[in-house]
Amino acid sequence: MVRRIARLRSGRLALGILLVVLVLAVFGPALAPFDPLAGTDAALAGPSADHWLGTDYLGRDVLSRILAGSTVSVLGAVQVALIALVVGAVPGILSVYLGRSFEWLSLRLVDTLIALPFLVFAVAVTALLGNGIPQAMFTVGILVSPVFYRVSRAAALTVSRSQYVEAALLSGASIGWVVRKHVWAKVLPPLSIALATTMGAGFVVVSSLTFLGIGVQPPAPTWGGVLASELQYLSYQPWAPLVPTVLIMLTVWAFNLLADAVRDVTGEAGRALTRPVTTPVAPVTQRTA
Amino acid sequence: MSSTTANRGWARTHGVSRALGRTLAVFVPVFFLGTFITFALRQLSGLSPAHLQLGESATPEKVAQLEAQWGLDEPFLTQYWHWLESLLHGDLGMSWVDGTSISSALVGRAIISLSIAGLALVIGVTVGFALGTLAALWQTTWVDRAITGFTTVISVMPSFVVGIALVAVFAVTLGWFPSAGYVPISQGLTPWFEHIWLPALAISFDTIADVARQLRSGLIGAYRENYVTGAIVRGLGPRRIFFVHVLRNGIGPALTVLGMKFPNLLGGAVVTEAIFGLAGYGKYAADSAQRGDVPAVQGVLVVSIVVVVVFNLLVNTALVRITPASSRGV
Repeated sequence: MVRRIARLRSGRLALGILLVVLVLAVFGPALAPFDPLAGTDAALAGPSADHWLGTDYLGRDVLSRILAGSTVSVLGAVQVALIALVVGAVPGILSVYLGRSFEWLSLRLVDTLIALPFLVFAVAVTALLGNGIPQAMFTVGILVSPVFYRVSRAAALTVSRSQYVEAALLSGASIGWVVRKHVWAKVLPPLSIALATTMGAGFVVVSSLTFLGIGVQPPAPTWGGVLASELQYLSYQPWAPLVPTVLIMLTVWAFNLLADAVRDVTGEAGRALTRPVTTPVAPVTQRTA
Repeated sequence: MSSTTANRGWARTHGVSRALGRTLAVFVPVFFLGTFITFALRQLSGLSPAHLQLGESATPEKVAQLEAQWGLDEPFLTQYWHWLESLLHGDLGMSWVDGTSISSALVGRAIISLSIAGLALVIGVTVGFALGTLAALWQTTWVDRAITGFTTVISVMPSFVVGIALVAVFAVTLGWFPSAGYVPISQGLTPWFEHIWLPALAISFDTIADVARQLRSGLIGAYRENYVTGAIVRGLGPRRIFFVHVLRNGIGPALTVLGMKFPNLLGGAVVTEAIFGLAGYGKYAADSAQRGDVPAVQGVLVVSIVVVVVFNLLVNTALVRITPASSRGV
């Protein structure tokens, strides 16, 4: 699938940006030229040969703080998506097989999760449960899990009710073969679209939380945290938030592009499951004045 | 003639009550599950007023005494029931930190947050509807491409990023609007508006983008229906076709999205209030949560759940009244 995504121009762009971001996340802390926590006397300095992006209000090197903070910011999004996958997909599949009462209860739980005011809940629950990274990841993961619940439930429904699966099993195919041949092909496209969208959404939420100092507390560096510390000194350096802002937006955009590319590559299959309604641009048949 | 009108009226009220019934069947469980999860947060967090008030001097006897005082020694479901009962009387309990009433602390703060969320909703609906309609009417032209590009760009901008950009441009560099604070509406409409419109704009981007997209595809879909062809053949004017046939049938997805976006607008309060230095309920929730003041946090969460449920009931009722298909109970 990766090869087919790479054939699309938008897919190449998305993969390229995400690759750079991933390199930042893995090697960022090692690449940082200065100690991200060590303050100097040169507070709020502009960009210079030493400090490419200037320094913040404690004289800490901004570039180093961005590089060192990329691990939590980016890998956090991946962790959120993986937690959401497990938390959502397992009950989603079970809802088809465990009987009416479990089905009803899990459907209402999903309704509830969707109706909750997302960020307030994420902030409140994370802070109440101890304000650490694991708490933040699990809270956000559970809050975004409904997507995976729906995708996996829809897949399980088709499998449990389709005659070709029944026919395959009757003609002696092993369950493993049926899963590989029929189920996997049905599940993979919507699942990968949901993964890409969730990573984008998870990234936004994790950045928002770190911006508020929830989950990862200052002075630990994060992209959201760098933005927050520059907010207070906007009147001295109105341009300062530009780099972290662009980084955050590029990453979100790349995740969205990737989701669209996967959708294009896999055809309509994922469309109905992950997005409410989107009609493609249609040939114009009627036109008003 | 008169009997068909009566029939149509009956069908409509019948459709409305059926749709309301279906909405209630979803949102009554949502209310109870949401409040239950909220209430269970105390158990999950393992926090108690004793740790907040006694601090280092806590002995097991003193802790037990305080917990009994707060009614925390009762069985969990009894506590939940008592809590729900006082909720219905508008009583959200007392703060663990200073023993003050949470309801009265929330009223003033909720007004700030709700005015911002409300204004954001108005911005999202008007701009989103305008863009979506324009894109649908001029589909596949440069207008459509420009609008689609614009909505794509603003949909990848997280609200705190937008907020910071707005502060940097309009408040700090240009100095047109105040960067922080709140002025109650009683001190004049203009100062009030000047203080809340930047935060409202910051959280409205997501809604603008989604409403515009859904409306565009809804309208384009409606234009391809046979009854529109029929209306054109019958010689109806483009304005009548748009408002009577296309808009009423194509607006559904956009309205539904509005119902789904509203929780985000309410939740976005945490971030915008931090950026614009507003003492709304989002800030109250974040501060209380960091202090470990569980009842105060629960108060905010419950209020937001109630607002979301009520808003969704309103949206669904509007949906039934406007779109012909859903008033027939389809």
